[in-house]
Amino acid sequence: MYQFTRFVAMRAVMAMLTLIIVSFIVFSLMEMVPGDCAERYLAFKNTQGSMISIADIEAERIRLGLDKPFMVRWLVWIWHAFQGDFGESCILRLNISQLLSDKFLISLGIALAALVLAYLIALPVGIISATSKSKVLNNTLRLVSYLGLALPNFLLALMIMLFSTVVYGNSLTGLFSPQMRDAPWSWDKAMDFLGHAWLPVFILGWSATAFAIQTVRALMSDEVGKLYVTAAKARGISGWRLLRRYPARHALGPIINSLGFDLNRIFNELPVVALILTLTEAGSLLIEALARSNDQQLAGAIIFLLTGSIVALNFATDVLLAIVDPRVRHSIMGGGK
Amino acid sequence: MSKTSAAPDHKSKEAYFTATQGQLIWARFKRNKSAMAGLVVLATLILSGLFAPFLTPYDPTVAGRDMSYLNGAPQIPRMWDENGFSWRPFVYTTKRTRSIKTNFRWVTVVDKKARRYLTFLPKGDPYKLFGMHLRTHLFGVDKGKIHLFGTDAAGKDIFSRTFHAINTSLAVGTIGVFLAFVLALIIGGISGFYGGITDSVLQMLTDSIRTVPAIPLFMALAAFVPPEWSAEARFFFISTILGLIGWPTLARRVRTHLLTERNQDYVLAARLSGASAAHIIRRHLLPSFTSYIIVDLVISFPYMVLSETALSFIGLGLKDPVNSLGVMLQNVTKADVLLNYQWYFIPVIFFIVLVLAFVFVGDGLRDAADPYSDNKS
Repeated sequence: MYQFTRFVAMRAVMAMLTLIIVSFIVFSLMEMVPGDCAERYLAFKNTQGSMISIADIEAERIRLGLDKPFMVRWLVWIWHAFQGDFGESCILRLNISQLLSDKFLISLGIALAALVLAYLIALPVGIISATSKSKVLNNTLRLVSYLGLALPNFLLALMIMLFSTVVYGNSLTGLFSPQMRDAPWSWDKAMDFLGHAWLPVFILGWSATAFAIQTVRALMSDEVGKLYVTAAKARGISGWRLLRRYPARHALGPIINSLGFDLNRIFNELPVVALILTLTEAGSLLIEALARSNDQQLAGAIIFLLTGSIVALNFATDVLLAIVDPRVRHSIMGGGK
Repeated sequence: MSKTSAAPDHKSKEAYFTATQGQLIWARFKRNKSAMAGLVVLATLILSGLFAPFLTPYDPTVAGRDMSYLNGAPQIPRMWDENGFSWRPFVYTTKRTRSIKTNFRWVTVVDKKARRYLTFLPKGDPYKLFGMHLRTHLFGVDKGKIHLFGTDAAGKDIFSRTFHAINTSLAVGTIGVFLAFVLALIIGGISGFYGGITDSVLQMLTDSIRTVPAIPLFMALAAFVPPEWSAEARFFFISTILGLIGWPTLARRVRTHLLTERNQDYVLAARLSGASAAHIIRRHLLPSFTSYIIVDLVISFPYMVLSETALSFIGLGLKDPVNSLGVMLQNVTKADVLLNYQWYFIPVIFFIVLVLAFVFVGDGLRDAADPYSDNKS
C-alpha cells in the first residue's frame, strides 16, 4: 500500500509540474500581446466619453498589479488559477470563473460523452475486425479510419449542416431551443439540452472513433496470435468468452493509456465545431475571445482549463491502470525486484 | 528445379542482396496497390497545384472576378442541346436582369441561344509562373467567361481558386513540416544523444507542449498577427506557427530512436576514434533512420494542411487574396449559402482527396520502409 501511495503521489507531482509548465506557456502568450489590460480598459472608457490621462493608466496598472515583474505576476496568476480564480476579463469586466463555470462544464461533458461514444463503438468493432477474416469488413473499416483523418470533425460538421439544410430545411445547430436558452437549469432544460447535444457529441466523436477503431484493431491483432490464446483455445474456450477473458484484457492497458490523447484530439476540434454548430459553450467563447475581442485573459483561462482536464484524465488513467493491470501493479509494488 | 528457371531466380536474388535501401523500399512500395493509387493522385494534385495559374482560366483574386455572374452556379460544358449538336463544347451565356416581372430583384437568366464555345490555350489574365510572365491559359471561352465550379459572392471563379488553394496548402504544409522537422531533429537529437538529465528536462517540456490541444494553441498564437499585416506576411507567420507547434511528436520519435541506437557498437567505434558529438549525430545516427523520418514527414503533412484550414476558417489564419481551403470556406455557414449556393463546397472534395492521398502514400511508405514487413502476415 505504501508503494501505491508513493506511486500516486509521484504521478500527482508530475501532473502538477506539467500544469505549471503549461501555465507558464499560456501566461507568456497572454503577456506577449501588445498593450496591457489597463490600456485596453481605459481605451474603452475613452470611447465612453471620459477623459483619460497617462496618470490614469498608470494608476489602473498599479491597481491591477501590472507594475510588478513578469515572474511575480505569473506566480500570482497560477496561485489563483489553482484555486479556480482566473481574475477578471479585460474586455468584459466580468469574473472569468463565473462566466465560464457552466459553459466549461458543458464543453467537458460533451467532450467526455464523445469519448465514451467513440469507445462504445470502437471496442466491439475493433475486436470483431481484428478477429474476422472478412476482406470486405476489413477494407471498409480501413476506409472509415482513413476518412476519420481526411474528413476532420469540423468538415464533417459542415457537411452534415449542408445535408440537413438541403434535406430537412433545418440546420440542427445550437445547444438549446430558443425558449430554453436563458432559463435556469431544470428537468425540461436538461431534456432539451440532450435533444440538441447528440449531434455535437456524434461529430466530435467521429475522428476519435475512427482512430480508436484502428488502435483497438492493431492491439487485438497483435494479441490474438499469441500462444496463451492458443493455449486457452486448446482448453476449450472459444468465441466472445475467449476474447473477453484473454486478449481483450491485454489490449486494454494501452487503450486506457491513450485516453488522454483522445481527449486532446477532441478538444482540438471543439472550438471550430462549436463555431459551426453555434454551440454556446467554452469552445466558441475561446474563438470569440481570440478572434474578435482579443481578450487574452479569457482565452488563457480556457486553454489552461482544457489542458488541465487532459492532465487530470492522464493522471486518472495512470492510477486506474495501476489498479486494473496486474503487470503495472506488480512493477510498482515489486519495487526494484 | 530445372536449370532454366534457376538462372533468373539466382539473378533476382543477387539483385535483391545488392539493392540499395531506396531500391528495396521502392520495390515494396510498388506492390502496395492503394499506396500506388495514392501516389498517382498525389502527384497529379501537386502538379496541378504548381501549374494552377496555367491550368485555370482566371485570376483567383478580385482581379479576375466576373461582375456579371455573382454567386453563379457551376456551368457544365456540353456538346448538344435542343438547338443542335456542336463539335466544340460550349456553355450558355447568362445575364443578370431585373424588371417588374422579377419584383425588381436581380436574377440570372440563361440565354440558350447565345453559346460560348470553349477555346484551347487562349490569352487571358496575366500571371507569373516560375519567373516567367505569361498570359496563356489552358482553356477559356470565346465570349465572356466560363465557371466550371461556379462563382462566389464577389464573382471570383471557384475552379481557379480551388487549384490555387491546393498550391497554398502545399506551401504552408511544406514550410510547416520543414520547420517542425528541423526543430524536432535538434531537440530530439540532443535529448536522445545525451540522455540523462538533459533528456528528462527536454522530455518534460516536450510532453507538456503535447498536452496542450494544438488548435487552441495555434489560435492563441495566430491572434498576435496585427491586422495591418499583408497577406504574404500572414502566410509566412501562420506557416511558422504550424512548424513551431508541430515538432513534439516527431522529436519524441527521433529521441526514442537515438536512445536505442546510441548504445550500438558503431557509435562506440566512432566515439573512440575521436569523432565529435555533432559529427556522430550527423554522419552516423541520422542516416540510420532517414527512412523513418521521411515517413513521419509525409504522415504529418495532412495535419499541417488541416490545421491551417481550421485556422483560416475561423478567420485567424490566411486572408484574402491568398487562397486556401479555409479562406474559401469562411462564409459557408450562412443559411443563404447552405440553401442556395451549395457549390461553395466543391473544393472540400479536392481536399479530402488530397489528404486521403497523403495518408495512403504515408501508410504505404511506412510499410515499405519497415524491413521486416515482408515477414509479417
